[in-house]
Amino acid sequence: MTVSPAPGELPSSLPRPAGELEQLERAWRPAAGWRYFSRVNNTQIGLLYVATAMVFFVLAGVLALIMRTQLAVPDNTLVSPQLYNQLFTMHGTVMMFLFAIPVVEAIAVYMLPNMLGARDMPFPRLGAYAYWAYAFGGTAFFITIFFRVAPDGGWFMYPPLTSQYSAGPGADWYLLGIGFIEISAIAGAIELIIGVLFTRAPGMTLGKMPIFAWAMLITALMIIFAFPAVIAGTTLLELERSLDWPFFIAERGGDPILWQHLFWFFGHPEVYIIFLPAAGLVTMMISTLARTPLVGYRAIVLALLATGFFGFAVWAHHMFTAGLGVLETMLVSAASFAVSVPAAIQIFSWLATLWQGRLRITGAALFLLGFLFTFVLGGLTGVMVAVLPFDWQVHDTYFVVAHLHYVLIGGMVFPVFAALYHWSPLVNGHVLSERLARWVFGLMFVGFNVAFFPMHISGVLGMPRRVYTYSAGLGLDGPNMVSTVGAFMLAAGVALFVFDALRTWFRAETENSNPWQASTLEWAGNEEYGVRSIPEIDSRDPLWTRASLVEEIEAGQHWLPGTTSGRRETLMTSPRAARPRHLLILTGDSWWPITAAAGTAGFFLLLTVKMVLPAFVCGVIAMVAIIVWLWETDPTPRTPTVNAADNRPRLRVGGVGVQTHSWWAMVILVIVDATICASFAFAHVHVSLMSDVCPPSGSRLPSLWFDLVSIAGSIVAALAMEAARRWDIGRDSTLSRVGLCAVIAAALLSSLLAFAFNAWGHLDAGLEPKANAWSATIMTLVSFQGLHVIVVALMAAYLVGRLISGRLRPNARATLDNTVLFWQYTAVQGVLTIAAIQMLPRLIG
Amino acid sequence: MKSAGPCFFACFAVSFLIACSYTSVDVERGRELTQQYQCGSCHVIPGVNAANGRVAVTLASFGLRSYIAGHVPSTDENLISWIVDPAAMVPGTLMPSMGVTAGDARLIAAYLRQLH
Amino acid sequence: MLRPATPSAEITLEIAIVLTIGAVAIFVGVMWLLLRALQQRERRPVTAWKWLIGGGVVFPVVVLSALLAYSTARTIQLLPAQDGLVIEVSGVQWWWEVRYRDPATGREVRSANEVRVPAGRPVTLGLTTADVIHSFWIPALGGKMDMIPGRVNQLRVQVTQPGVHRGVCAEFCGDQHAKMALHVVAMVPAQFDAWLAAQAAPASAPSSALAQLGQRVFGEQRCSVCHSVRGIAEALQLGPDLTHVASRLYLGAGELPTRSDNFRHWVANVQHIKPGARMPAYDHLDEQALTALAAFLDGLK
Repeated sequence: MTVSPAPGELPSSLPRPAGELEQLERAWRPAAGWRYFSRVNNTQIGLLYVATAMVFFVLAGVLALIMRTQLAVPDNTLVSPQLYNQLFTMHGTVMMFLFAIPVVEAIAVYMLPNMLGARDMPFPRLGAYAYWAYAFGGTAFFITIFFRVAPDGGWFMYPPLTSQYSAGPGADWYLLGIGFIEISAIAGAIELIIGVLFTRAPGMTLGKMPIFAWAMLITALMIIFAFPAVIAGTTLLELERSLDWPFFIAERGGDPILWQHLFWFFGHPEVYIIFLPAAGLVTMMISTLARTPLVGYRAIVLALLATGFFGFAVWAHHMFTAGLGVLETMLVSAASFAVSVPAAIQIFSWLATLWQGRLRITGAALFLLGFLFTFVLGGLTGVMVAVLPFDWQVHDTYFVVAHLHYVLIGGMVFPVFAALYHWSPLVNGHVLSERLARWVFGLMFVGFNVAFFPMHISGVLGMPRRVYTYSAGLGLDGPNMVSTVGAFMLAAGVALFVFDALRTWFRAETENSNPWQASTLEWAGNEEYGVRSIPEIDSRDPLWTRASLVEEIEAGQHWLPGTTSGRRETLMTSPRAARPRHLLILTGDSWWPITAAAGTAGFFLLLTVKMVLPAFVCGVIAMVAIIVWLWETDPTPRTPTVNAADNRPRLRVGGVGVQTHSWWAMVILVIVDATICASFAFAHVHVSLMSDVCPPSGSRLPSLWFDLVSIAGSIVAALAMEAARRWDIGRDSTLSRVGLCAVIAAALLSSLLAFAFNAWGHLDAGLEPKANAWSATIMTLVSFQGLHVIVVALMAAYLVGRLISGRLRPNARATLDNTVLFWQYTAVQGVLTIAAIQMLPRLIG
Repeated sequence: MKSAGPCFFACFAVSFLIACSYTSVDVERGRELTQQYQCGSCHVIPGVNAANGRVAVTLASFGLRSYIAGHVPSTDENLISWIVDPAAMVPGTLMPSMGVTAGDARLIAAYLRQLH
Repeated sequence: MLRPATPSAEITLEIAIVLTIGAVAIFVGVMWLLLRALQQRERRPVTAWKWLIGGGVVFPVVVLSALLAYSTARTIQLLPAQDGLVIEVSGVQWWWEVRYRDPATGREVRSANEVRVPAGRPVTLGLTTADVIHSFWIPALGGKMDMIPGRVNQLRVQVTQPGVHRGVCAEFCGDQHAKMALHVVAMVPAQFDAWLAAQAAPASAPSSALAQLGQRVFGEQRCSVCHSVRGIAEALQLGPDLTHVASRLYLGAGELPTRSDNFRHWVANVQHIKPGARMPAYDHLDEQALTALAAFLDGLK
């Protein structure tokens, strides 16, 4: 299918039919009144998401102000040590998990579809679910501070302090609280990857998409591989706390360092997950405000990729003082140096773009300049702490507190504020006050440096982190007082911003006049449906290269100027060249996502306070909501093709097989799943290598026969589901349908037997997870497999339901394809975990 | 959008008010004293940090027990006397007198009593 | 870090100075480029590769390679090769147990919160923990080393001159992490040997009547259940060994200088000084008992 139009031949002709625009508006009209909570459009969810994240920013900031007040003078008694420990733990946890990641995801949810020329994210209800789960879970987590049961082990929660030595429920609130963020982040990542790869405007090749799209794509991929490690780690810690499975208890073969590996394997990529989106926003704003195309587009893309990739190699630089091997430590130190090269490429690209152009000083521009100052300084102290002897001195001191705030506030908060100023017209057409912006920036920039620069000094003078007070006469009085003054200045700047934002964004809507003359598609229309018509483009800066583009879009001369089915729609395009492939029909507003989110939240939160029956009721509600919501997916298209653009070939409705967006979502989910399993396997390998004898005395492997039967069962199940996948579901006979049901039932029986034999083998070998860490990790792997088998059983029942009700068709078979993929993965996981458990002791010898 | 903000703040206000009347002071003091006298060096005690001792019997669900050390009926007075001077009530017991005053023992007893 | 007392701390200070100068120079350079970029009135063409490859790749690779070579060389110099006198230090919530070996009898000598070492001689510290992760850090002597359950981490130090150096716990370990300090006292080797011999001896009997009363109070209040005083009473050893407590410079893990009135202050008000510490407060004792107890403890030299 060709994309570039013959000169003058735009996708759709004028005049547009009467009522087409009204029909489009009607399909996208958001639910009103109390039905507000059923909205799923990325425009509404995105704004809500950004607002919620900013609320958490302010709340966590208030906690910091209390901390700074306590530390203003030595030997202060404003706050008790127990409360102070909760304050700094909550400050870090809320900032990192409830503000930093959500705000960049939120900005992406709000703006990325518009930048790509899409009408919405590819899974609107999933996005709504992710948001409400975050909102409910985050709020419940935050209010623990009012009940004095907030966690108090620091935001990275090292055991055994947080397991055997934290008797209260605080640590459980942390583990379950960030569980929501984990779900939210993974759901967001799936949406971002599918959205960036498959829903771009026709002609927007990978090499022409906005840098923010690249940043979010790479960030989402990082989330996929990083979050599973912390999901696994927090699961293990919660199992240790509630069931006494000794993963991190040295006396029983566990190792606290295991937690550190799992946490930081997530924790380091996490900071790049926070930084890369901000860097993407900075790149776009610099290009627009300097009024010149970006210098080094490909270099920046490579730099983003390199950062994302090498960011996974350096987690151990958070563990330089743990006494790990000297050689490994030196290699990690060298890798930590290397990771700063991609950052340098980006910095020089920005400098070159500024040199080439002429920066217009707007509120956003001020924050961009502040970003460059602060982030470069923070990056340089980062290189300093990569040097081992220096880190051995300043690790766990205020020097690191200074460094991390310079790179996080400089590297993310300033860009986010710049973005709020820059893209404000998208919200309701109004710009924030340029006059107040100078005050906001002045207070924030000066306040930030006054607050955090002295911390380099107090760190070098020997002030450790996480102390509720310090003694007089150590030289720490001056720096701390100055820091406190600066913190309040910074807070004043934020307060002024909040005042201006509320004042501006609650005004009546007006026309968005693209006041900065930006070049990318989000400025071409930000109605509920995004753009009036989805444009064909052929450059990185479409609004600059084609002066008439906005007019054409608004007149409906491009793709999908209306709605072909009366419902919400967008285009699915090919990943590299963005050739239109098929029409994607999106769901409208729905109550199921928020219901499912409330049910999920209720389930986890009620379990934390040990109210088991109400928890399970909530769990059931969530599951019912999810199933009903799923039932509406994978619909049979009413017509096989539609006319999405008069002067282009007709477009197929919905994809088939590997072309559906849900298939790729399932692929990503399977990758996440496999990475979680790999993390549990890593735990098993780690504790096995640590013990003198493997299996440890008192424990033994299951007899091989059980495991061989289990492997056979898994293989049979996988083969059966392969047969199911190849079934001719076009044949509309009862016999055919019964046959397919039988195949599915056979596969389920095989999977159940496979698991039963595996479990029986372990029971027979006397597996006792409390006895030692080796047994606990095996029990975890077995239970993980068991969980998968339960899910597979539910999927089987659901699939049979779809089949019997006639909803499984040759052109609506995503349910079958996705189920087969997950099922086969489950079988493979079963086989591999058995093989790993059996072979490891034999390999270690 | 307009109602979301006030909603959040209302939630926080309500929870703050609820939080004010949450734990009994005596029980909390008793818990702190249990930590200070290092009872956890010998006993596992729920809710008390670093109480992982396996030397003596666990005090989980102590509030449901009818007897102290298997010998002495678990009344408030007996519990306080036991904590102050175990050997006086059960000669030959391995539990040392930790020098707990009667006042402190009363608070510790209040904490142990509510362990269910 | 700014007053190094060992060869490795001196090397680290030198590295720190080099890093700071380098970082400042690069920062100033980049900011200067930024200012120049903003100053321009009209557009200028930019040779992309000069910026991206020259500035973005070549410049950092050259600088970082030099830094890598320099820091690796210095780091290797910093790792001391020699083993020396072994002293075991164990982190406990929120104090430090220090154990020497008496050269005369081979028996263990327990102390707390103060590590004495012979100046000019290599010392190997065996670092462990009794509960959670702590981290042993004496800035003047060099970098820190974590104390991790299930492991013995080693820190080798050689203090050049006699002197006193303060350190802290550098890994968050609970309520009173902030007040878990300690001191390292380096002594002339002959004096160190004499000191160790004195530490190995049991406690001296109380000399005055007040101190004898204090010893009775010590027994009645059951202090000895947690705190050993060798030669007088030893039981569970849950708290710091007090056999020679008055010979140490500080009380309460570096919190108060050792003096009779501070003994009294600590015993009566521990929960005000260090709230959450695992020791009850004894403010219910009368004046005479507290004064006597302080006199007894002050006599344990």
